[in-house]
Amino acid sequence: MLMVVFLILLHLKGYAQEKQITGKIVGNDNPMPLRGAIIQVKNKKTATSTNEQGQYSIKANMGDVLIFKMIGFQPQEIMIGDGSIINVILRIESTKLDEVVVIGYGDKTRRDLTGSVSSISGTELLKTQPTTVDQALQGKVPGVVVQQISGQPGGGVSVQIRGLSGFSNNPPLYVVDGLQILPSTGDKGTNPLSSINPSEISSIDILKDASATAIYGAQATNGVVIITTKRGVSGPPVVSYDGYAGAQALPKYYEVMNLREYATFMNEKSAIIGYDLRPQFANPAYLGVGTDWQKALFRTALMQNHNLALTGGDARTKYYLSGTYFSQEGIALGSDFRRISSRLNLDNKTTDWLKLGVSLQLANVKENVTTSQTGVIRQALNQTPDVNVINPDGTWGGNDPNIYGATGTNPFALAKIVKDLKNRYELFGNAYAEIQFAKGLTLRNELSGNISTATEDQFDPIYTMGAYSKTSNSATYSSGKNTFYSLTNYLTYGHSFANKYNLNAMIGHESKVWEYENVSASRTNFPSNNVQAISGGDAATATNAGEKGQTAGESYFGRIDFKYNDKYNITFNVRDDGSSKFAPENRWVTTYSGAFAWKLKQENFFKDVKSIDDLKLRVGYGLQNNQNIRDYAYGSTLRTVTNSLSGNSQIIATSGNPDVKWETTKGYNVGLDVSILNRRVDFSLDAYYKRTDNLLLSLTLPLYSGMVDATGYAPGSIQSPYINIGSVSNKGIEFSINTHNIKSQNFNWKSNLTLSHNTNKILTLNTDAAALYGYAGSTAITKSTVGRSIGEYYGYETLGTYKNAEDFKKYPALPQKGGLPIPITNGSGGVWVGDVIFKDQNNDGVIDENDQVFLGSPIPKFQFGINNSFNYKNFDLNIFMSGNYGNKLYNQVRVDAENPNQNFGYFKNVGEYARIGLINPTGSAADINNVYITNPETSITRISQASGNGNERFSSKYIEDGSFIRCKSITLGYSFKENLLSKIYLKNLRLYAQVTNVFTITKYKGYDPEIGSWNPLAAGVDNGYYAQPRVFTIGANISILNK
Amino acid sequence: MKQIKLYILTLFAAVTVISSCKKDFLERPPLSQITTDNFYKSSSDLRLVTAGLYAQPWNDWNSFPLLAIGDILSGNMLQPYNADLAQLTAFSVTSQNGQMSTSWRCFYKIVAHCNTNIKAINTKVPDSVALKNKNGALGELRFLRATAYFHLAQLWGAVPIIEDNDKLIKDPLLPRHRLADVYRFIVNDLRFAAAALPTRDQAGRVTTWSAQGMLAKVYLTKAGIGGNRKQSDLDSAAFFARNVINTSGLTLLPSYYNLFRTQFNDNPESLFAFQWAPGVGYGNGNAIQTQFAPSSSVVPPGGGWGGAIGPTFDLDSLYTPQDSVRRKATFMLTGDHYPELNAAGGGYTATSCSVKKHVVGTAADNNAPTMDIWSSPQHNTVLRLADVYLVYVEALLGTNSSTSDAEALRVFNMVRKRAGVDPVTTITTEQLRNERRIELAFEGQYWFDLVRLSYYNPQGAVTLLNNQILKNTRVQFSYDPATGKKTRNTNGIVITPPTIATFTLPIPATEITADPKLLDPPAAYY
Repeated sequence: MLMVVFLILLHLKGYAQEKQITGKIVGNDNPMPLRGAIIQVKNKKTATSTNEQGQYSIKANMGDVLIFKMIGFQPQEIMIGDGSIINVILRIESTKLDEVVVIGYGDKTRRDLTGSVSSISGTELLKTQPTTVDQALQGKVPGVVVQQISGQPGGGVSVQIRGLSGFSNNPPLYVVDGLQILPSTGDKGTNPLSSINPSEISSIDILKDASATAIYGAQATNGVVIITTKRGVSGPPVVSYDGYAGAQALPKYYEVMNLREYATFMNEKSAIIGYDLRPQFANPAYLGVGTDWQKALFRTALMQNHNLALTGGDARTKYYLSGTYFSQEGIALGSDFRRISSRLNLDNKTTDWLKLGVSLQLANVKENVTTSQTGVIRQALNQTPDVNVINPDGTWGGNDPNIYGATGTNPFALAKIVKDLKNRYELFGNAYAEIQFAKGLTLRNELSGNISTATEDQFDPIYTMGAYSKTSNSATYSSGKNTFYSLTNYLTYGHSFANKYNLNAMIGHESKVWEYENVSASRTNFPSNNVQAISGGDAATATNAGEKGQTAGESYFGRIDFKYNDKYNITFNVRDDGSSKFAPENRWVTTYSGAFAWKLKQENFFKDVKSIDDLKLRVGYGLQNNQNIRDYAYGSTLRTVTNSLSGNSQIIATSGNPDVKWETTKGYNVGLDVSILNRRVDFSLDAYYKRTDNLLLSLTLPLYSGMVDATGYAPGSIQSPYINIGSVSNKGIEFSINTHNIKSQNFNWKSNLTLSHNTNKILTLNTDAAALYGYAGSTAITKSTVGRSIGEYYGYETLGTYKNAEDFKKYPALPQKGGLPIPITNGSGGVWVGDVIFKDQNNDGVIDENDQVFLGSPIPKFQFGINNSFNYKNFDLNIFMSGNYGNKLYNQVRVDAENPNQNFGYFKNVGEYARIGLINPTGSAADINNVYITNPETSITRISQASGNGNERFSSKYIEDGSFIRCKSITLGYSFKENLLSKIYLKNLRLYAQVTNVFTITKYKGYDPEIGSWNPLAAGVDNGYYAQPRVFTIGANISILNK
Repeated sequence: MKQIKLYILTLFAAVTVISSCKKDFLERPPLSQITTDNFYKSSSDLRLVTAGLYAQPWNDWNSFPLLAIGDILSGNMLQPYNADLAQLTAFSVTSQNGQMSTSWRCFYKIVAHCNTNIKAINTKVPDSVALKNKNGALGELRFLRATAYFHLAQLWGAVPIIEDNDKLIKDPLLPRHRLADVYRFIVNDLRFAAAALPTRDQAGRVTTWSAQGMLAKVYLTKAGIGGNRKQSDLDSAAFFARNVINTSGLTLLPSYYNLFRTQFNDNPESLFAFQWAPGVGYGNGNAIQTQFAPSSSVVPPGGGWGGAIGPTFDLDSLYTPQDSVRRKATFMLTGDHYPELNAAGGGYTATSCSVKKHVVGTAADNNAPTMDIWSSPQHNTVLRLADVYLVYVEALLGTNSSTSDAEALRVFNMVRKRAGVDPVTTITTEQLRNERRIELAFEGQYWFDLVRLSYYNPQGAVTLLNNQILKNTRVQFSYDPATGKKTRNTNGIVITPPTIATFTLPIPATEITADPKLLDPPAAYY
């Protein structure tokens, strides 16, 4: 159907007489004639070039299109009309400086920017084929740290612009065609930005410093990402198709014990501990390799994307209509993602003073999140190789019921039979009316809305997996709705006078409302696993829940831009924000900023410096406010719990703080933009400092407070209040350079490098000795304290394992029990050779809490991205690398998998556990002077159920270097020649092949060193992380045109 | 044309002014939650906030540590495989032990809820609420708070006292407070509660008798602080216990066995019991039977994880053959038949020596269709009348080694008679200790009895535990119903001898990391 419409739009061209066209070509920079410019009749072989006077002559028909080309200039196309003389002024090839940059409630050319703003074009975006928009920012923008929270399809991404300005999640504000979106962060599996289709994006602009972001006021402290989608352009309709298909696979596997190794190990373990030997392990040599659970769970998964777009318009109306289908299987069973979206962008110039337009996107996202919901990746690493995936009789494999303690489940089976499907419909809409009252005076009204409805359908069946059997089934169905509306009006006035002075002023008002509501229902005891609709369960077991909430904001804002003689630009922003999250007396706050840019190149003393094409200095300062707290944070709330006294009853749910007020960030930015070597090298250098005061945080308090912070979970605990807890500073340097290394007719090589460095430091906390802790489970793993950066790991330092009696003399400090050091014994509660040596940091002779030290930070010291693109004739090649340097990760998987004393699966290296030998074979095994470790190089502890040493406590043993360099993508494309294509009515045809996550160079032992987190207090924790897949793709870009 | 534009401009100005004049645009209270500002307005509101604290917030303690500390650590019960539980049996409890942090967290959660509600009631309740009702609610809250602190004091000794949780927000790092001050705080709360609470209330709510019974136990316990039992405290204990026994009108439930069946929840013997409701999901209900029942056939589907848990030989050897009612209500011996467990399936016949108390059966057995593995409807008691009877006897016995006091013999024999065992004519300290141990076995009490003893006779308490090691009775056993033979099990646990330090549990490691001041010597609170 769609194709028919498209074909109708392709009407036939007219016919005309051939004639001689002549003219002269000059450049726009100085009016010297251009010699050697090429003039070509479009879609024909006729071509000529200019002489020394810049003159040309060519034969063509009326209605033909002439193409004027010259290296270093933008090509121009002119249709031949009645006349026969066509003089052309070619513009110097557009540089970065000519880009239009969206700055919030308006736009500017890069040339006139005063703040720190980075941009990514739509074409650049497509080179790495991100699944979601936020992934696209990775390595492309200096100062922006992008890390995947989960590699699952459509999985979340953490984006930090210029460091951590707080202890909780610091997401930037996203603005899509004027619609403000705050990414929710509640659920690690899903990402609201995933409903936006990257191939519909025309550009992304990232506002980084206060002078640029202040116009967005509250919520913009952590930067603003402005996403502009493609809009129609005047001209005949163009139909374009972009599509690709790919296969994905897990790039790396952990080395785990196979069945033979496991049986050998278990026999040795049984002999040491005194367990019964398992008869089936009697002769390991006769056993096979058993089950490799990683191979069972991970698969080669397919993905595909098809996008069809129609664009065109006339002088009055321009349109862009597009539809996209995207589907991606996850590499782990039980995870899939599918998006269908359609977009309509319309602009209409109704009268000479009125413009109307809409941007509408409707998306449907379906996700299977069973993998993350059931934690099967971790379970695959836990399960033992003696368990079948499927038994010969067709039942699910599981642990032997006769072996106590081994009650793991079958991750393959769980991923297959547990249901957790999410289905979301999302409407993004923006409508505007722009009224021009007089020359330069314009009022724009915008109504924006984001409505999403989402359902989640869960079913947990009955199953038996060996020793583990689940004898009841249950289903939960939840449905929720989120709405956001904003009404924005702003008046813009622009005026130039005396050819030197340029004034641009804007004032406006904005009001916003967010609302959410959800309801869920559950039942258990379904007659069969095949009956999964809620109504099929036992009605007597029905439970349900639901809640609603709301927030509102209102703002007044204004901006003045002043330009003098194209040399000096000054910008002032001010914004007054009110938020319903604060008590009336703290509700309103003012944000402001000012910035100055000096185009040194325009100064007379610089005019003659030929080697520099452009030089601009930017200085900015601003104050911003943030309200990143829960709704109604100033008051306490109660919630309903059930007991048998009163049925429902009320207990305190959240503790409010009536004094809570806005978080403020003050910062300055100094930047330099330079263009040299005939604009073949552009670089920007920005340095910034920002200080955030009155940091908002849901306090982490000792357990005796009875409170947990907003991210914690402990049934019956009170959620701690948000308070203004302290100050944090971030300072950093960002550098980006674009070079056109080789520039010739047939071969071009362009490079882009971004490099960012940020230092984060906690300046004050509410009390001197205060510290904030981050937890992995119930273990404190990070400590944030004054003078250090947020979320540094904090625990014991290890010095290997005790190898002999000598080591106990060398490291005499031991953990304590009941005020006494634990005994050196191989009996219960003691320490023995093969146990971990903890460093006595304070040399007080005991190992206790005071011996914990900082073990490194999960924050990278540097982040970088390197992009190289090559063009040879019709071939294009793009290679993109990115990486982190200087961060640490906590590999929590190893805590269990490398512990010989747990009852689940083991890594291969556990076979090399610390083996205890006797110096005198007839002597006592309980005499410390008679024992030693026969394999002293091992990092695995001894086998013992009774060690009192706390070998698995949080220590440097599990902290690893997280630095990496990753080849994110390599793309090779071929574009067919235009004259060839025109015969089959194609404007453009490009075929390409791509590999993403080609290779990763890292010392990290886990699947993937890129581990993002939304909780800066517990970042870099790998507990069965869903790795990013390696993807092989082939694709095509096609557009059809009637000229 | 110009006019139209002028109209639009005027309209724009008007809309902006009007929308900003709408002052309540930014007034957005929660839509689905009650706020403390609009609650606490009537007597029924107060009843709802107090009711909430009889169940869910106790979950952390109830679901495992109650028996892990109360019975495993004291040598009534054993589970050799779980590392945390094996530490309890081996007397090698570390500060990383998960049972420590969950119970510590639990009691302080109760304290936080009580403190917050007490403050709200004192500041927000309007005069229209009758003083009696206001004080009644405060009495319930202070009873609950005292109970939480009583647990904390017996388990960890000196602990931080918190009365206003809002103060923690500004100043979160507290020292421990002296044990004597913690007890003084508990007594103050309970004395208030005893005066404020009514003599009769809805079944399941605490009354003045609950508070007086608890006071008796607190006095009895605190009497020994410092080494010698203070007679004044013993007298106070006797006074309050006597009051409960003689004037409350409450009586022992005639059947010991029925005390632990849900059909007899909140019977007249119950002075304070958790008010668990079925169907409330993980973290909100009573999960004891799921954790401790020996088989999934006697509990809602998915539960019954207690196959490896059982009574110790030490506990079993205390029961005389005559004492079969209490034995069978407390633990199963192989071959025992329980017709009421999984009645639809013909009852349950034990296949091992396992926990019985708290095992109440399936959803059908309890006529509770929403009951799931996390929510047994059993209202297990924290304080029941028989406990107060024995507290009374202990107070009367005082510092003597035996007594023939008529009053003491009367109540002591009432407990024995109900159990179907012969009365006695004198009571020795050992008899009393064993009677308490049997009567209250698997109710988490024996550890507290040992702690109480350790206050004034540390060596005696250590010896009791040490004897379990020396006599190899701190082990599980198997039972052959055909021959009646009991065989002690072996396990890999190597027990380190207890010391006086054993009676003070380690404060959770994370807590010390979060607040290093907890390592300082206890500070004075009063």
